[in-house]
Amino acid sequence: MNVLELKDVTKKYGEFVAVEGVCLEIEEGKILSLLGPSGCGKSTTLRMIAGFTTPNSGTVAIAGENVDHLKPYERNVGLLFQDYALFPHMTVEQNVAYGLRYRGTPKPMIPSRVQQMLSLVRMLGMEARYPSQLSGGQQQRVALARALATDPQIVLLDEPLSALDAKLRLELRIELKEILRSVGATTIVVTHDQEEALSLGDEVVVMHAGKVIQRGSPIEIYKAPADKFVAEFVGRSNWFCATRRGRSSGDLSSYITSNGIEIRTRSAPTDRRGSADLCIRPEHIELMDVTQGVVSDEPDQNLLEGVVVDVAPLGADVHVVVDLPGETRLQVIRKNVGRIPTVVPGQPVRLCFAASDVLVFPT
Amino acid sequence: MRHFKSQLLLLLPAAAVYLFFLVLPLWTVIAESFRTFTPGRIGAVAGAPLTVKNYTEFAGPVYATYFGQTYVLAFFASVIAIIIAFPVAYYIAKNASASVRKIWISALVGLMFLSALVRIYAIELTFGSVGILAPFMSFVGVNMNGTAYINIIIIVGLLHYAIPISILIMIGAILNLNPRLTEAAQSLGASAIESHLSVTIPLCIKGIVSAFLVSMTFGVSAFAIPWILGRGRVQFISNIIYSRFSEVSNYPSGAAISIIMLVLSLLMIFIISRIATFFDRT
Ligand SMILES: Nc1ncnc2c1ncn2[C@@H]1O[C@H](COP(=O)(O)OP(=O)(O)O)[C@@H](O)[C@H]1O
Ligand SMILES: [Mg+2]
Repeated sequence: MNVLELKDVTKKYGEFVAVEGVCLEIEEGKILSLLGPSGCGKSTTLRMIAGFTTPNSGTVAIAGENVDHLKPYERNVGLLFQDYALFPHMTVEQNVAYGLRYRGTPKPMIPSRVQQMLSLVRMLGMEARYPSQLSGGQQQRVALARALATDPQIVLLDEPLSALDAKLRLELRIELKEILRSVGATTIVVTHDQEEALSLGDEVVVMHAGKVIQRGSPIEIYKAPADKFVAEFVGRSNWFCATRRGRSSGDLSSYITSNGIEIRTRSAPTDRRGSADLCIRPEHIELMDVTQGVVSDEPDQNLLEGVVVDVAPLGADVHVVVDLPGETRLQVIRKNVGRIPTVVPGQPVRLCFAASDVLVFPT
Repeated sequence: MRHFKSQLLLLLPAAAVYLFFLVLPLWTVIAESFRTFTPGRIGAVAGAPLTVKNYTEFAGPVYATYFGQTYVLAFFASVIAIIIAFPVAYYIAKNASASVRKIWISALVGLMFLSALVRIYAIELTFGSVGILAPFMSFVGVNMNGTAYINIIIIVGLLHYAIPISILIMIGAILNLNPRLTEAAQSLGASAIESHLSVTIPLCIKGIVSAFLVSMTFGVSAFAIPWILGRGRVQFISNIIYSRFSEVSNYPSGAAISIIMLVLSLLMIFIISRIATFFDRT
């Protein structure tokens, strides 16, 4: 059953449309990532679910029941704010117990529930501390314990990790997923970080300018982005503006860029002539030395030549920047495993990528 | 080093003014309060013998009444002012748009600039024994010359100043409040009222205490309000001090009572600040 259903929800601030016709539903126990750039209406969407903002039109239903007329405290929604919003004048224990107190948990049962929650987020022994005496990561855990304590029907996390530094963010991300799974919480997690969205969510919803652009599994979002915006926002990408050449053989098409570079693609959407934005992921490009063997020009492969401008060895990956003739610059990412031949700036190289890896977005 | 010197230079004018116009006169008052007074003279004679009689004189029950009237009425006025001002301050800080907030603040500041005497006489002309409401009051059976009624009118007079200043002080405290906190409380099941009682008010305690102390200081030192509205039936310490200095020229006695008041007020501020710090866990 769908725990949450948004139907055609729109929110305007004056003339400005912050959220436009958003439809969302989420099944019990699933984690949904709401991904989009800053200002695209993610927080507004969460606030409408929690009841702090009233939609101009559309309906919100929780567990099949329309909640439009319910105040925030009448909805059983757990909320984790970006800045945690822990009560600074209460101890960790009082913070976690707060919701239990007001949601009518019998008094004698509160302490054991608080202990259970603190053990879940591995914060036992910190009961008597005040939020100001905790690190950012610890505050985040307490806020999560507080939000989960009342066993809410749906948990909303607004940029839960963005206030933490990079290393802690990765650690807590894994832990967060583990905790949410272990309690079986139905969750919407809002983020502008694609890595977070793809790693946390069973499904990802991409928003842009107040609208839902695409919904799919993390793999689908990456492999088959619905439009140029999603392709650019999720993962890294190289772009070419190109015009379709008349002939195509089988399901292969051929495009030519303004700099005269030919790029073969598979499954172009239409067979009329026209221009398109072509996208190739840096990790799909292979790099070869020009002297390396004889090159056979297979029709379903693209073969380009260029000169290395920059090599950045970033641990697991090596990022290489290659200039093609005519001021086109490409990013190439190679895994730093096995025996990879080293390249140096100034070195002429061949680039190779499959036609099926090129994404085509007609313009 | 030069930096330090120039900072000292910056403090110099303030220090000079402070020493010359505050510490020196205060010292004169303290010195005067320990002199023996000979009735009929104006102030104590230079070199008059030292005494504590000026102080012990105020231990009697008559003066306890004056102190009681002063502090109790000021206390009630301050508490009532906080209760009335808090919701208004909350509305202005949270719900009013920036421009509406500006209008409110200007209006409140303007209200405080309105001459105190004008306001006091306005109250007297409305609620006083010959005021326009007098027929109505006698009709509903209120004794306008009773002490209870006069006390209430004095509190009303004090509120004229205490409410706007309390609102202005508490707006600042409420503006500093993270709005997510009340939202967090409500998402955890606390109703609007409950979330204010458990989160907003404890977190604004500093502002509330400041407002209380300012109202209290104003109330305790009020002069014209008890003088005019009290009609001689109710007197504040300030009125006693005034009569000591101006009517009987017993400067030592007036000085002693001023010093007692100063000490009491400092004590009050100290105790209340301690209590506030105890409750303020932020
Ligand atoms: N209370 C408000 N009044 C006016 N505009 C608002 C308000 N809240 C949000 N907005 C606007 O709505 C848009 C979406 O905001 P938000 O939902 O917070 O974005 P996100 O969380 O995706 O970064 C933003 O452009 C923001 O400026
Ligand atoms: Mg946001």
